[in-house]
Amino acid sequence: MIDFVQNTIDGVMTGSSYALLALGFTMILGVMRRLNLSYGPSIMIGAYLGTLVYLQLSASPIVVVAVTVAGAVLAGIYVERLCFAPMAAGAGIASMVSSFAIWMQLEQAAVLVLPRHTYPFPPLATGAPLTFGPFLLRTDHLIMLTCALAVSTGVQLLLYRSRFGLALRAIINNPVAAHLVGINVRTAIVWAFVLASVVGGIAGYLVLATDQQITPMFGMWATFKGLIAMMIGGLGSIPGAIVGGLVLGVVEAHSQWYFGPQVRDLVAYGLLFACLVLRPGGLLGGPPVREPFPWRRGT
Amino acid sequence: MDDYLVGVLSNIGVISFIALSAYLLLLTGEISFGQQAFFAIGAYAAGIATAVWGWPLGAALGWGAAMAGTAAVLVGLPTLRLSGLYFSVATLAFAEMVRLIFEQVRYQVIMDGEPVGPNGADGFRSIRYIFENDVGPLQYLGLIYAFLAAALAAFMLLERSRLGVAFRMIGEDAELAGLHGVAVARLKVLAAGLAGALAGIGGGLYAHLTTYVEPRIFDVMLGVHSLAYGLIGGLGTALGPLLGVLIDIGVLESIRALSSYRMIIFSGLVAALLIVRPRGLLDERVVHYVRRVWRMRATT
Amino acid sequence: MLEISDLVTAYGKIEALKGVTLHAEAGRITCLLGPNGAGKTTLMMSIAGILQPLRGSVRLAGTELRGLPPARIVAQGVALVPENRLVFPQMSVRENLLAGAYQRNDKAGVSADVERMYERFPRLRERREQLAGTLSGGEQQMLAVARALMSRPRVLLMDEPSLGLAPLVVAEIFRIVAELHRDGTTIFLVEQNAHMALQVAHHFYLMEQGRVTFSGAPGQLAEDEVIQRAYLGAREAG
Repeated sequence: MIDFVQNTIDGVMTGSSYALLALGFTMILGVMRRLNLSYGPSIMIGAYLGTLVYLQLSASPIVVVAVTVAGAVLAGIYVERLCFAPMAAGAGIASMVSSFAIWMQLEQAAVLVLPRHTYPFPPLATGAPLTFGPFLLRTDHLIMLTCALAVSTGVQLLLYRSRFGLALRAIINNPVAAHLVGINVRTAIVWAFVLASVVGGIAGYLVLATDQQITPMFGMWATFKGLIAMMIGGLGSIPGAIVGGLVLGVVEAHSQWYFGPQVRDLVAYGLLFACLVLRPGGLLGGPPVREPFPWRRGT
Repeated sequence: MDDYLVGVLSNIGVISFIALSAYLLLLTGEISFGQQAFFAIGAYAAGIATAVWGWPLGAALGWGAAMAGTAAVLVGLPTLRLSGLYFSVATLAFAEMVRLIFEQVRYQVIMDGEPVGPNGADGFRSIRYIFENDVGPLQYLGLIYAFLAAALAAFMLLERSRLGVAFRMIGEDAELAGLHGVAVARLKVLAAGLAGALAGIGGGLYAHLTTYVEPRIFDVMLGVHSLAYGLIGGLGTALGPLLGVLIDIGVLESIRALSSYRMIIFSGLVAALLIVRPRGLLDERVVHYVRRVWRMRATT
Repeated sequence: MLEISDLVTAYGKIEALKGVTLHAEAGRITCLLGPNGAGKTTLMMSIAGILQPLRGSVRLAGTELRGLPPARIVAQGVALVPENRLVFPQMSVRENLLAGAYQRNDKAGVSADVERMYERFPRLRERREQLAGTLSGGEQQMLAVARALMSRPRVLLMDEPSLGLAPLVVAEIFRIVAELHRDGTTIFLVEQNAHMALQVAHHFYLMEQGRVTFSGAPGQLAEDEVIQRAYLGAREAG
């Protein structure tokens, strides 16, 4: 019983960063209606820059965060300009495959700059974990959870209380109508990418600082965590991204405890598959909206 | 022909199967990130058939294709009513599950004092059929391309047949196709099965070419690549994916000199190509144009 | 007010508008009728900038609109109530109205206008926090009109406002159109429902296969012939 609760606690903590990754992913998917396979890798570029300043300049954590986020934003804009902006309305798969190509490009670029397999990343917190009765709460996990909550709340406020948020939601709802009410859709999309990259950059920093290391596998890892969490929770909603992330985190924590890391991943994908087949709208979404994205037509 | 070239061409031939597999599904309007699962199933099944059960190659390849095709149908059924993005992610999830399952599968039989068979994450070694039966590299190359030619011929027939038209109709607008009397659900499952079998043949050929497979090979990278080939080479004809494989492997091999920057350059080129040619080099417009010119020449 | 000259818009190689010339006078209701596929919606989307015309000109009180992105065209004072309404389904009625005022900076003015919309369309007030996607067709149509009005446009374009609506609702829509005219709004209206359209229009055009084939006042062409040509396209002579 104690193990169960402890695992759940740990799962919620790691799940909170999955939630942020899902959040960023969902934003891009919502406004673009296309899958950005370079999401994780662009965050990784930021993180590699962060680790670079950490190693070469002994930068403080604040600086590393700033550099990570800035790098993720720059990489995100690069991806948007190359893979998404120039594509005509019907060229959905082309965008996606292009983002895949750039994923590989970014990965190789990162490896060229920092060729070793792993590099250290400044830790989030040092010191003994807090105890809470029989349960352990790692301080870095707590920081991660707090930051994730803060960021999600911030995004929620931005989306629902600001003019920019109104524009984004309008585009997500109906891009043509968004044009018709005078929203500059192209510019808004770029800013959506920036926002998604900021969120992703923070999420990336939190994860890497908890692991205290970074490897070139991080890009793909981040993309898939974000994708799985987003689809479990329900496409295109902030609460969905958060729930999806937390559920994924908890399921992983339990699976890993009882069955080990490989089965953990198997269970995660199994959960995703089951969710898709049984409830494609995700745990929070309703029954699937027909053709939610103009994915196939004239792709 | 030197060994290196034979090796590269064999590689191109084998990978073409998974490219064609993804392409077939694209025709029916479905984007699958998961064909590598059927490639894997074909590889393992065929490998077990020859290495552990002692079957001849032909039967083993058929077995691999059958297993892969069956698996594809079994996955195709529950995912039938998933649209667009949901379907794609489901295929991804399935393929990863297959890969992870193969990492746990151990089926080894002691033959001549050595364990033979898949050994989880350590892979499946000693698929030595072509060596034990004195099939030279050039002969095997011929075999691969014989199968590929057959597959291409089948595609050419398909393009001209009612089934092919029905597939493309489903790809354009499934609902509309249904209203025109197309048995959409049945055909989609058929397409899934055929695509799976196609990937399965490729997998079987691959396993015997390299004599060694491990689950790590059949990852998402392979899956997205198989889509990318069609996108680069063109979606207007079955030759498109083949062209894509040729370009990808061919170009990558030839810029080996710039090895550290290969990916960076090549990926950049692909992204640039897709901006101007979102449906690949041999897209529907080019193919249509070529066919028109061909027909005009034929009548003069 | 709105002058369209020789406008050509194509989808790939197919010209949907083959040189359209027409004119919507300030303060009046101008109507465009025509059969399906004539290019009426293409014309509306071309004026709004969603589709980019190949050639020709769209002038609003002398300012050229062709070539401008949709957001700039809205800034110039054009608002389109699109075919099929296109409300923002997951946003509330109130948020839809606020979206309509996206380019405006005067918060007090916007709030006042929202109030005005509630007065003009009482059903929207009732449902102001409801998600727009849950509204009935008629209510969505009113919302779409109100949303367009929020930008205080100089010209209001309406694309088939009666499409798919019950006769009583259609009558209400046209009553609103007449009301808007009385308030001084310039209206350019595309309609399938020739009968109702001709009752409010000051001037009308017929469009067939990408071209304007008739221009005149409602009395000029016998209503029967207009309806025939609007729904069926011109018959061959004889």
